[in-house]
Amino acid sequence: MLGFGERIAFVLVVIVCGGLATRGFLRIGRIVRLGGPAERTDRLAARLIRALIEVGLQRTIAKARPLVSLAHSFVFFGFAFYLLVNVNDVVEAYVEGWSTIGAGPAAGVFNLLSDLFSVLVLIGMVALLVRRFVVKPRTLEFNSNVILQPEVAGGAVRRDSLIVGVFILLHVGARWLGTAFHLAHDGHGDPWLPAASVMATAFAGMSPDALEVAVHVCWWLAMGLIVLFLPYFPHSKHLHLMVAPLNLALRRSAPRGELDGVADVSAPGARALTDLAWPALLDSYACIMCNRCQEVCPAHASGTPLSPAALEINKRYWLNANSSSLLSAGEAPMLLEFATSPAAAWSCTTCYACVEICPVGNEPMVDLVQMRRAMIFAGDAPDELAEVLRSLDEKGNSFGQSARRRAKWTRGLDFKIPDARKQAVEYLWYVGDFASYDPQCQEISRTVARILHAAGVDFGILYEGEKSAGNDVRRTGEEGLFESLTEQNVETLAGCEFERIFTTDPHTFNALENEYGDEVGAPVEHYTTLLLRLLESGELELNGGDGGRATYHDPCYLGRYNGGFDAPRALIEACGTELVEMPRNREQSFCCGAGGGRIWMKDHDDLTERPSESRIREALSLGPIDYFVVSCPKDLTMYRDAVKSTGNDGKIEVRDIAEFVADAMGGAVPCPSV
Amino acid sequence: MNTVVLLKRVPDLVEDLEVDGSGRALVAEHLKLTLNEFDEHALEEALLLKEDGGGEVTVVALDSADVDKMLFTALAKGADRAIKVTGVGAVGGTRELAGVFSDVLGSISHDLVLTGVQASDDVDGQLAPTVAANLGVPCIEVITGVEAGAGTVTVHKEYAGGVLGEFEMTLPGVLGIQAARQSPRYAPVSRVRQIQESATLDEVAGAGGGDGRFSIVVMTPPKAGEGAQMLDSVEELIAVLDSKGVI
Amino acid sequence: MSQDVLVVAEHGQGELDDITFEMLGAGKALAAQTGGACVVALIGGGQLTSQLGGADKIVAVEGEGLENFNPESHGAALAAIVEQAAPRVVMVGYTSMGMDLASSLAVRADMAHAASCLEVQAGDTVTAVSQLYGGKFNVKTDLGAGPCVVSMLAGSSPADAGRADGAPAVETVAAPATAGKVRFVRLIEPEAGDVDITAQEILVAVGRGIGNKDDIEVAEELAEELDAAVAASRPIVDSGWLPKGRQVGKSGVKVTPKVYIALGISGAPEHVEGMKGAATIIAINTDRNAPIFNVAHYGMVEDLFDVCEELTEELQDR
Repeated sequence: MLGFGERIAFVLVVIVCGGLATRGFLRIGRIVRLGGPAERTDRLAARLIRALIEVGLQRTIAKARPLVSLAHSFVFFGFAFYLLVNVNDVVEAYVEGWSTIGAGPAAGVFNLLSDLFSVLVLIGMVALLVRRFVVKPRTLEFNSNVILQPEVAGGAVRRDSLIVGVFILLHVGARWLGTAFHLAHDGHGDPWLPAASVMATAFAGMSPDALEVAVHVCWWLAMGLIVLFLPYFPHSKHLHLMVAPLNLALRRSAPRGELDGVADVSAPGARALTDLAWPALLDSYACIMCNRCQEVCPAHASGTPLSPAALEINKRYWLNANSSSLLSAGEAPMLLEFATSPAAAWSCTTCYACVEICPVGNEPMVDLVQMRRAMIFAGDAPDELAEVLRSLDEKGNSFGQSARRRAKWTRGLDFKIPDARKQAVEYLWYVGDFASYDPQCQEISRTVARILHAAGVDFGILYEGEKSAGNDVRRTGEEGLFESLTEQNVETLAGCEFERIFTTDPHTFNALENEYGDEVGAPVEHYTTLLLRLLESGELELNGGDGGRATYHDPCYLGRYNGGFDAPRALIEACGTELVEMPRNREQSFCCGAGGGRIWMKDHDDLTERPSESRIREALSLGPIDYFVVSCPKDLTMYRDAVKSTGNDGKIEVRDIAEFVADAMGGAVPCPSV
Repeated sequence: MNTVVLLKRVPDLVEDLEVDGSGRALVAEHLKLTLNEFDEHALEEALLLKEDGGGEVTVVALDSADVDKMLFTALAKGADRAIKVTGVGAVGGTRELAGVFSDVLGSISHDLVLTGVQASDDVDGQLAPTVAANLGVPCIEVITGVEAGAGTVTVHKEYAGGVLGEFEMTLPGVLGIQAARQSPRYAPVSRVRQIQESATLDEVAGAGGGDGRFSIVVMTPPKAGEGAQMLDSVEELIAVLDSKGVI
Repeated sequence: MSQDVLVVAEHGQGELDDITFEMLGAGKALAAQTGGACVVALIGGGQLTSQLGGADKIVAVEGEGLENFNPESHGAALAAIVEQAAPRVVMVGYTSMGMDLASSLAVRADMAHAASCLEVQAGDTVTAVSQLYGGKFNVKTDLGAGPCVVSMLAGSSPADAGRADGAPAVETVAAPATAGKVRFVRLIEPEAGDVDITAQEILVAVGRGIGNKDDIEVAEELAEELDAAVAASRPIVDSGWLPKGRQVGKSGVKVTPKVYIALGISGAPEHVEGMKGAATIIAINTDRNAPIFNVAHYGMVEDLFDVCEELTEELQDR
């Protein structure tokens, strides 16, 4: 279809732009390789296939923002199909007489699809542009105290969106209009091109010569733009077309709750950008700058300077501006200066919501833990955190209390819990810091003990031999202390005889299950799994509780990290209570704000509303609700405080699952009211 | 300026402490020793002085169970040398301890000695002025700010009510630190472990500290007095406030 | 060695501190036991002799550079007095100034020494009871038959016992020369605070139990209802959550309000020293073993947030 001159011109444009683009992509490859080592390429074929299926089904993006995801799917499927369309258009340009119009049913189906997808892409793209530039949702903005690269602060992400949006509109629009001009030139519509046929009627009055020019112009706009756009990819978030499936394919295969070890013990963690492992650098090129991670981040929601989105976006924009100098042995910038701030890094609760929600498989939380490792190694911990770490080191607990008092909570029981250090038990109960030392949580511990005792379960505890399992110690970046605690705990466990371990603390559960690995020597479970099993086997009998309406909060380290959603719910319902779900439930549960060592640190000065307070409001928005149910000791303290601090004392009661079970066991277990 | 920091371990008051059968000492089994918090401030101040103006920081402590970790922690924080004084058994009080330290100080070249203002088990006086008197050098206690000069230090001494006295002291001398300019820094466990592999503690044989000049008669928990009258509800509390005429 | 008791007067900015009178009262009782006189050593405060009527005798040292406390010159002056008077017991305050004097004197003059003393008794030997281990234990020591130094805790004796009219003889001793290694430069007053807590009738004090800077609001609301001011223990001020002027305790201010409500304060001796003089002390703490309950008149083992909220509400309804 193209004239000789046009064909030559197009080839030249392809060569030039293709060359520029290739250079850009290769440079990105070299940048990513500057990062530290990571094992991600095992079973590569299976990884790629799985990622392509995920992308094909749009699974990762559909986790949030349903309408936006729908609009995106229009654009995605349209663009995916357009690969075929573009190939066809090049053939059409170079092979005289080639056209899909009027070329039989197979070509007709192709045309129908391209017609439909063209319209869908245009609709979807217009919707997305209207959202960004007219509706301007707040979620696309950052807290005013978030560090931003100068370009980002100056609206670079918006500009990028506009360029990409306009390009798509022009590329697809021109291609579709070209089809309409073609039909007008033919003088009739085509049943396989319904929309284009309608559009063609608008051009009925144009002369054949004008129409032919129009067809050529549209071809050049469509194909020219896409070739011209190629060199822009490396600078744009639109690069996610290529990098996102790759990033998804190269995700960690280790369990979520297991952090990667320290690569270089003489310089743990990451100070400079290139201290991060290479997947973290790839993350910045995959980032679509959608801010979904920021939207679910409890730290950002409470007004702190932490934005996981800004972290990735800052990395990307710095790299966009400085990759040449970085590659020619330049100095890598300090993460805590250009990408985020120490206060922001310390604000992270390590709830994993950002990683869970990211459509392209980014892990901003991992970067933050790396930064913490480096800060701790340099002795830069907030004072109150340092005090707690010292307490954990000296006394094995985060409360600054005597190790000898760890089992004092058992004194309120009228039976003696066996000492697992001295006698063999079937179940070893790893109690945890909060369940041992916090007065409110001690009540729950006693309730759990009474339930198990009444059910005739053979269980024991480690008494003063137990030390904090170290889950959150590891997440504050204190690897040395985590190692020390792990060594001591493993030694203690090795001297005991037991068949299974259970714990009332999800953080402890995560550490024992994922961080301690085989050293534990027995299956580990959360107490809700244990109670449900006892219920199902008949060892535990429930005679119906006092009913009421409850909502259940999924603790981060049981739910999102380890998939433990169902046992707690089954227990609540088995106790005769009506269960209502909060909007943010299961994987999307909203963190109480205590994890990652946050419960040991002071609130940020800019705090607007604590995450726990926001969550209580969410529960109250469900209408008449009697109970807010938790299965984690830190959740218990955080939410009881939040009920008070939001002035909702008496409107909703925070209860642990154990309290429901105890109630439902009738007189078998005395359950003191709080 | 070269500083020496004297470190003393005291019973951790968080533990449940009890008097033993003799009535004159604490039950050893329940004793957990921890670094005197004011000595930790003294170390911090010494490290800050080194960061400001160079010099070496030497820490000195008596040998006792698990004291190595404390000394390695000091090295991990930035001290240059750690001395463990061996061969001296349990020390009966400040005078005796000061005697041991003063003896060791004689063989360390230094400009300034820093130690904590006091310790919770100071029966017979404070370490800083006692060591200074032994060495015949000046001492100022309750220091919250130190600035090095040429052969001198300018310090802030804290009085009651937040009033500060500014003094200039010619070196060598001793300071009893109440608080360093900033909270004592954190020594990450991995660094302490690395130092334990790479560094060594100097061991110096200590000479006895002499007679403390006192003997303990008996140790008792304080008389509870009538103790507080415990109230059970906010209503009762309001009744009390009412009766005192404040509401 | 005489059987005299020498009380080292403590003064600053032209006034005798309360501890001087406390020690004077205790010193007289002790002198009655030893059979000697109660002598006051007044270094650099010549104009204050008229207030020391309770003493049997005053030994004053005047000289240039003694007007402001200086560890070196005051220490030398005290040593000179002690050498001349050879008392059996020297009473020094367990205070900032006292710490600079007591141990130094004890070493130089070869005397026994007990610090942080609540009481002193004399018989064949002198015994003292020291408050140690954060207030958890009182240790009774025997200081022997010879001369000794005792550092007395502030508030261990009533100050009124030391106040009396009288005109004791004043003996002057020359100020000895010193090597001049410690030079007083100046006094630095604390920044003018917003509130003078020593002038308040009611104080609501917060300690570590408050947990968080933002939660101080709870205490402030209660204080507002009671027409009171908010005070604090040292850790709160050190963290920067309240200005230094609000600090009650050994290195803060001493307060004697009508009512002192201690929220989440454990009762460490350094803090108690600053508020034990309050007429009514009400302590709220979740730890039933907290030492504060030993000095408080009323107590509640409750969460301070619960109590404050309820109390504030009740008061608002009135």
